[in-house]
Amino acid sequence: MAEIVLQRVMKNYGPLYAVNDVSLTVNDGEFVALVGPSGCGKTTTLNLIAGLLPMSGGDIVIGDRVVNDLDPKDRDIAMVFQNYALYPNKTVFKNLAFPLQMRKLPKDQIDQKVRDAAKLLDITHLLERKPRELSGGQQQRVALGRALVRDPAVFLMDEPLSNLDAKLRVQMRSEIKRFHHNLNATIVYVTHDQLEAVTMADKMAVMNGGFLLQYDTPANVFANPINTFVASFIGSPAMSLIPLEGVTSGTDASLRSPEGWELPLSPMNARKAASSTTSKIVLGARHSTLKLHKTQVPGSVPGKVYTVEPTGDVTFAQVFINGAVVNISVEPSVVIHPDEQVFIEFDQERMHLFDAETTMALQAA
Amino acid sequence: MTDITLQRTRPVVKKPIDWWRWAGRFFLTFLLIFTVLPMAWMILTSVKSQFAAMQYPPQWWPAEPTLNNYFKLLDPTNRVGADFLRYFWNSFYVSLLTTILGVVVAVPAAYAFSRFRFPGRNFLFFGVLVRNMFPAVVFLMPLFLLMRWLGLVNTHGSLILTYLTFGLPLSIWLLKGFYDNIPIQLEQAARIDGATRFQAFLLIVMPLSTPGIIATSIFSFIGAWNEYVYAYTFLSRDDQMTLPVGIQRFFTEFATDWPGLMAATFMMSVPVVVLFLVLQKYFVRALTEGAVKH
Repeated sequence: MAEIVLQRVMKNYGPLYAVNDVSLTVNDGEFVALVGPSGCGKTTTLNLIAGLLPMSGGDIVIGDRVVNDLDPKDRDIAMVFQNYALYPNKTVFKNLAFPLQMRKLPKDQIDQKVRDAAKLLDITHLLERKPRELSGGQQQRVALGRALVRDPAVFLMDEPLSNLDAKLRVQMRSEIKRFHHNLNATIVYVTHDQLEAVTMADKMAVMNGGFLLQYDTPANVFANPINTFVASFIGSPAMSLIPLEGVTSGTDASLRSPEGWELPLSPMNARKAASSTTSKIVLGARHSTLKLHKTQVPGSVPGKVYTVEPTGDVTFAQVFINGAVVNISVEPSVVIHPDEQVFIEFDQERMHLFDAETTMALQAA
Repeated sequence: MTDITLQRTRPVVKKPIDWWRWAGRFFLTFLLIFTVLPMAWMILTSVKSQFAAMQYPPQWWPAEPTLNNYFKLLDPTNRVGADFLRYFWNSFYVSLLTTILGVVVAVPAAYAFSRFRFPGRNFLFFGVLVRNMFPAVVFLMPLFLLMRWLGLVNTHGSLILTYLTFGLPLSIWLLKGFYDNIPIQLEQAARIDGATRFQAFLLIVMPLSTPGIIATSIFSFIGAWNEYVYAYTFLSRDDQMTLPVGIQRFFTEFATDWPGLMAATFMMSVPVVVLFLVLQKYFVRALTEGAVKH
């Protein structure tokens, strides 16, 4: 096991930067998720760690070695691919044995290690089959087996669950988490599904446009998103963002809507609003922090119901406030209808304020 | 409700005669006869005696079938047999070397075109294909001059080189399709599992492209085996002739021995037919590979 350090890693194709100045440290035994939308550079970053692509700049350290110029085979890593990349002409046994054969282990040791790995993943009965004769979940397990059979320093996983159906995905999610727990392995896990990242990872690195935006524990990223992109990317349903006008008078501050209402801010939020570079401020709030009222109460703003989505134990409503769609969760017993006038109360403690120009979260000065 | 209507309508349905289908069948049958008849006549003639072959009206079925023509061709002690066997060997030698060299060049070339991005990649690839736009005969004179300059006239090397230039474009193009279809992640996985780039190619990619390699081998073998014009132009010494030229020369030296000629022609087609029958499944796979996503 080992830690991974990325220092100012760059990868460009001509003027296009796929990975732009990414620095992060994955501690020994940590499960880190690289998360972001398609084309954000997360898979490229993983391939750079694996050595499958040459870097344009920066340093990568695995364990205590700088691996910049090492071949993938010399980096002591294992990788699980999105399409599993099982060797189709080899049996499961030979798939698992391949990394060991390449390292010229004696035959009896190979046999022993393959059987141990197979037992761990409960695929012993599949050892003589070819990959195409396996179900998606079984293929996934073989791919994991091929990665762990060699006992590598680092596991790299490239969207390993995205080819599975929804039910299996949830099951494999907990299996991979268990796998991490049992082996105490260092894992870098790429996913576009923020839910996977939040549920599985010790830390998550949110990327967009080749940049690393935020690198922290899922709880911290969830609670304190660094900008509007992270805010709207993490969490399901996404955080609602309402563009408003900041108005200050002395130490008091409020947010004003062109629709005519005004939301007074708490002293803490007023100080945050004061640090904005412009008067345009984006108000962010998660669905669970909002309260829906049928009548006006102090600190609430008017909105119009757009859709109502009952899911059983909670009902999600989408409400138009100042032209923006706001997600709210309510008790299933609450009866609301589309186009109904409602009032939304914000939680001053758990609301987020962003600078509309820089998109960055506002901090109290 | 639906059950009732189904029952009511089913007996009434009467299939109209599909004339297009019958026209197609008729056409295919005609095509079959058209291709099989000459071959059947070739085999029938080859088991006749010289006298029976020249009869008019022809003997549709040989009255006294004989395998003497084949014995004569395969007997190295008489002159006819010795010549035939030498031609056969020459053809085999040239075709085999063309095939092996073709695979040795086409496999890495196709792999490079499929996997690497290098300057001039597209230009080179289309350059390779442009060769196929011209009929082979167009290159006869230039290639002859080139071979004379290289001192290769009257050697088998001239033929092998020529056949390679004609066979390679198709081989490279076919194999590239194969490599395009092999996910790059397989090689990446192999490289992470401890293989060098070359080992990944040799141990993982090559076995997966075997059908393609076999198909392109058949193509180049048959191409070289059947080629006539270049062999006729480049070779003039009797001991170097390949089968297509040899058969023609040899049998017109005397009064045309039709049964002997037919026997020799049949023997010449045997390797090609056998190759096709044994390896045809790879052939079809190679040509349809990449047509649809699996």
